[in-house]
Amino acid sequence: MSLLQWARIKSPWICHFNTGGCNACDIELVAALTPRFDVERFGILLKGSPRHADILVVTGPVTLQTEARLRRVYDQMAEPRFVMVVGVCGCSGSVYHGCYSVKGGIDRVIPVDVYVGGCPPRPSEIIDGVVQILNKIARGDQAADSTAA
Amino acid sequence: MDLFWGVLYLLLFPGFLFLLFFGLLFEWVDRKVYARLQNRVGPPIFQPFADLIKLLGKEDIIPGNVDRALFQYTPLIAFAAVMTPIFNIPLWSARALFPLQGDLLLALYLLSIPTLALFVIGWSSVSLYPLVGGFRAATMLFGFEVPFILTCLSGGVVAGSWSISDVTTYMARHPAVMLLLLPGFVIALLALEAKLERSPFDIPHAETEIVGGTLTEYSGKKLAVMRLVDDIGMVVGSSLIAAIFLGGFLFLDKSLIWSGTDFTPFINFMLYIAKSLFIVLLLALVRTLFARLRIDQMLDFSWKYLATGGLLQLFIAVVYAGALHG
Repeated sequence: MSLLQWARIKSPWICHFNTGGCNACDIELVAALTPRFDVERFGILLKGSPRHADILVVTGPVTLQTEARLRRVYDQMAEPRFVMVVGVCGCSGSVYHGCYSVKGGIDRVIPVDVYVGGCPPRPSEIIDGVVQILNKIARGDQAADSTAA
Repeated sequence: MDLFWGVLYLLLFPGFLFLLFFGLLFEWVDRKVYARLQNRVGPPIFQPFADLIKLLGKEDIIPGNVDRALFQYTPLIAFAAVMTPIFNIPLWSARALFPLQGDLLLALYLLSIPTLALFVIGWSSVSLYPLVGGFRAATMLFGFEVPFILTCLSGGVVAGSWSISDVTTYMARHPAVMLLLLPGFVIALLALEAKLERSPFDIPHAETEIVGGTLTEYSGKKLAVMRLVDDIGMVVGSSLIAAIFLGGFLFLDKSLIWSGTDFTPFINFMLYIAKSLFIVLLLALVRTLFARLRIDQMLDFSWKYLATGGLLQLFIAVVYAGALHG
């Protein structure tokens, strides 16, 4: 494992984006960042700007309103970048699948690395999702980003 | 040979490498204390190193419509400015490495350059959030800079010199004067907290209001440099306060202990580290205790109480100096 790979595993900064979900997943994500779970132990920090972040955490189904904005936020991130979907709406569109104003899951718009199901998932499952991405870096896999392009 | 030692000083010991490691260590101490006070475990000791290496290895984006020259080189200017005062601050003896007549003023000027750099960055980013952050940083500058300069200069007035080394030497000879400067120490500490833009004065990069603040458009290496500017600013700022306000009896006089083998520089250096660590602990405590102020509340507070207190401190210093020398 190279030094850079080690540093990437030890310092995953996340940026949070809601594409039109019901806020339940967002509340669980915020709960995962509270002192009770203390994700700073693993170096996880919540960053406001997508340019600072390594992992984009997306919640909710992509609505037609947010589609262009989601793509734009993703394009603003510096490589290597990873995308984690939290909640079943973001995975597939869930009950909003086929709705007139909904495009569908997140992977209809941007490449996704890890899907965390649940409605909403518990904070421990969200942290496990981040660990899946870190395992991916440790294995030396490319981000979904580069394979899709 | 002088050139060799000069390069060594600049790059290795009190210069670049030492400041780099010490700054990252201080960042860890700060984050760890912050976490412990919130009843968390907190980040491991290598965390700031991992953050730095990761940021250095990331893609470095220059957005299309920024002012390229300013956007690229302002971080380097801020970085150079914030490192320079360490050569004027006494670290292991009562004399600094390169003492100048008037280096107290020089250090104060150099330490205000990072804030101006933040304003330039906000301006050159041509983006709304950095611009708001830059204006907030520039507005705050008027609030905290006046009390900081007033209190630091009162140390100089007491010692009758504008040289940091002379101030420290004076404090080492007259430890009781430290009590006279105690209000100044508190004011300078709060002003340093605002200078480093930490809570409750983290208005220029308030995450919940203006995304990433001034540094919103920065990524990769430039972000890493700006984070280092903050860390090294913490080291240099706390060293400056330690030299002026805590210089007193904590510095050992060479004649006081063993005359044979001379460990005094080493012991003094350890004392310097202890003093600056103490200041970082106080800074972390303030960061934990208070929530963010609004910009008008911050200016109110600093002009009503900090600046008035700074003037009072200067008055006390002038009266003391007049009674002593005049």
